Amino acid sequence: MNPGNELYMTVESEDEFIRRSVELFGRNGGRKALRLMFAADERETGAGFNVYAVFSGMGEDVFDILRLPIRENGRGPGYKSLTPHVPAAHWYEREIADMFGIIPEGHPDSRRLVLHGMYPEGIYPLRRDVSVQDIRKKIDLERPDTYPYMKVKGEGICEIPVGPVHAGIIEPGHFRFSAVGETVYYLDPRLFYTHKGVEKHFEQIGFENGVALAERISGVSAFAHSTAYCSAVERMRGITLPVRARAARTFLLELERLYNHVGDIGNMCAGTGFAIGYARGASLKERIMRLNERLTGSRYLRGVNHIGGVSRDVLENAEETLAEAGKIKEEYKSFMGLIAGAISHIERLENAGLLPGKIARNLGATGVAARASGINDDLRTAHPYMYYDELVFETYMRTKGDVYTRMMIRADEVGCTLAIMTTILKRARGFSTGPLHAGPSAGVPPLSSALGWAEGPRGSVFYFVKSGKDGLSPLRVKVRAASFCNWPLMPFAVQGNIIPDFPLINKSFNLSYSGCDM
Amino acid sequence: MIEKIFYNIINKKQARPLETLALSAGETELIEEARKKIDRVFGRSVRIRQVDAGSCNACEWECTALINPVYDVQRFGVDFVASPRHADILLVTGPASFSMALALKKTYLAMPEPKIVIACGDCAADGGVFKGSYAVTGGVDKVVPAVSRIRGCPPSPSAIMTGIMETIRKLF
Ligand code: SF4
Repeated sequence: MNPGNELYMTVESEDEFIRRSVELFGRNGGRKALRLMFAADERETGAGFNVYAVFSGMGEDVFDILRLPIRENGRGPGYKSLTPHVPAAHWYEREIADMFGIIPEGHPDSRRLVLHGMYPEGIYPLRRDVSVQDIRKKIDLERPDTYPYMKVKGEGICEIPVGPVHAGIIEPGHFRFSAVGETVYYLDPRLFYTHKGVEKHFEQIGFENGVALAERISGVSAFAHSTAYCSAVERMRGITLPVRARAARTFLLELERLYNHVGDIGNMCAGTGFAIGYARGASLKERIMRLNERLTGSRYLRGVNHIGGVSRDVLENAEETLAEAGKIKEEYKSFMGLIAGAISHIERLENAGLLPGKIARNLGATGVAARASGINDDLRTAHPYMYYDELVFETYMRTKGDVYTRMMIRADEVGCTLAIMTTILKRARGFSTGPLHAGPSAGVPPLSSALGWAEGPRGSVFYFVKSGKDGLSPLRVKVRAASFCNWPLMPFAVQGNIIPDFPLINKSFNLSYSGCDM
Repeated sequence: MIEKIFYNIINKKQARPLETLALSAGETELIEEARKKIDRVFGRSVRIRQVDAGSCNACEWECTALINPVYDVQRFGVDFVASPRHADILLVTGPASFSMALALKKTYLAMPEPKIVIACGDCAADGGVFKGSYAVTGGVDKVVPAVSRIRGCPPSPSAIMTGIMETIRKLF
């Protein structure tokens, strides 16, 4: 049983897989986006290993899902790499190689991606016959890490290593700059320091507990993650949510976007040393987080989402919330007035960290980063979920692709978000005070699968969930956070900029390490 | 205006840019006591190096919130620093992923004595929701010796602040 808008197609040969993918993706990524790509170990069901690629685009609420059964040859499972034809596949394929030992033959970058040196070769954590104990026994903290960083040679090239522990209170990652004077010639980022084995953990803990785990994959996108996860499981079970629950989720998704965007605009001020801007942004964000806490009991909107609905009526006391939203709007306006008047700040943002649209399309950018580089893509309108198809709103796109544009996309969206929140609160008066939860329903059918998604503050979030033979626990949960798509864009955006602008450019993307590393 | 500012500085009045968090009586007492110890043990102010050992990032945002104008911990002589060489406290978040274990250990070793480690958040305490996963050691003190744990997922900024102060009060 597959939910309606997921069109599966099994391709018999690797060449056909490539041909169909290129057809869907377009040359240079002009057509549909590669939403996610993953492998699944379905040997226990007799289906062997499979690689899936999911494509979709604006204007048509359909996911084209290609399934490629993987052949076993003498050297282990492998297939012809898709990356030379569809560049957006590059990190996915390296991840598949690390986690399943399925080798993408002809991939231009055969280095490991996820697993660091302490994981010896030959451990494939996501294979179903590999237990947690097996992996833990083999992990060896003494094992030296021999990751081959990309070397740039030439006169005047100087290599600057930074991280994984950084100067500020931020997440860990290593950046290897090759610089000429102050100018970055090449950046080789190494991430996955916060790899927590989340996808395997989902398989161990069962469907219901998965919600709490999804909320903790990326701290400030907790609600987008839990919504995407819950809707995948709800689709598998064929549950439809009551309107009040759908509206509540939509409201909280927008609230999450609001506090993130406001915080991000403030943080960019820290990147240029504009202290008062940073302080104002931080205070306003704090104000919104207190609203989060009042409505949901959690500053990070955790604990509200459940499979089948929400546990709190966040839309009650609409008047009070409306009043607070009004105050936030006033404060936000004055905050943006301050920023717009700070010429020295704005001049640092302009032309910094340019991300050309062609690169963004080819590498599969998502969210604010994509919309600032001329890609019109927003899951809220591409694949309306929850209450979005009953709302009329605008999605924003600009083309320049610099730090300033990314800030302005956020500013545009804050206005839209506040309007959506207000609309929902006003309409909520008319909703019946019915249940917040779908009634009791059958469990998860065995061997069913579904996608779940949400447009989070950083971009699209996808979950693919497939149940096992007993229907009690998942056979595979694939999480694709927005940052996994956007991290590979960083080296392109910083090239040619000066190193002191790196923190600023980094903040303008605001990528999650934890969401990417999982 | 200028006179007022100088008057405030000289009389150690706190500048209140926005609604700075009001403290409860208990918290004020705790902070006063802890400050006396900070004066004595660390020479008037205490410096924190925060390390993310695989957290989901919510815990870091709560630490960051401590220096926003609302919580403003700097007014208590507490601040976050960039280098472990300047730090008295190592505040660790996250379940200590294997991939971060070495960097965490090295950061600890780079700190001068006296130094203490505080585990911040449920997953730093015992692995939290990630307990039982193959990729995490399952708690900060599997890697560095933590003297106290601040519970919560994430602990609120006030909880982190009082957690730090309580640790100092108890320990010295
Ligand atoms: S304790 Fe909770 S909030 Fe803190 S890092 Fe762990 S999962 Fe995230």
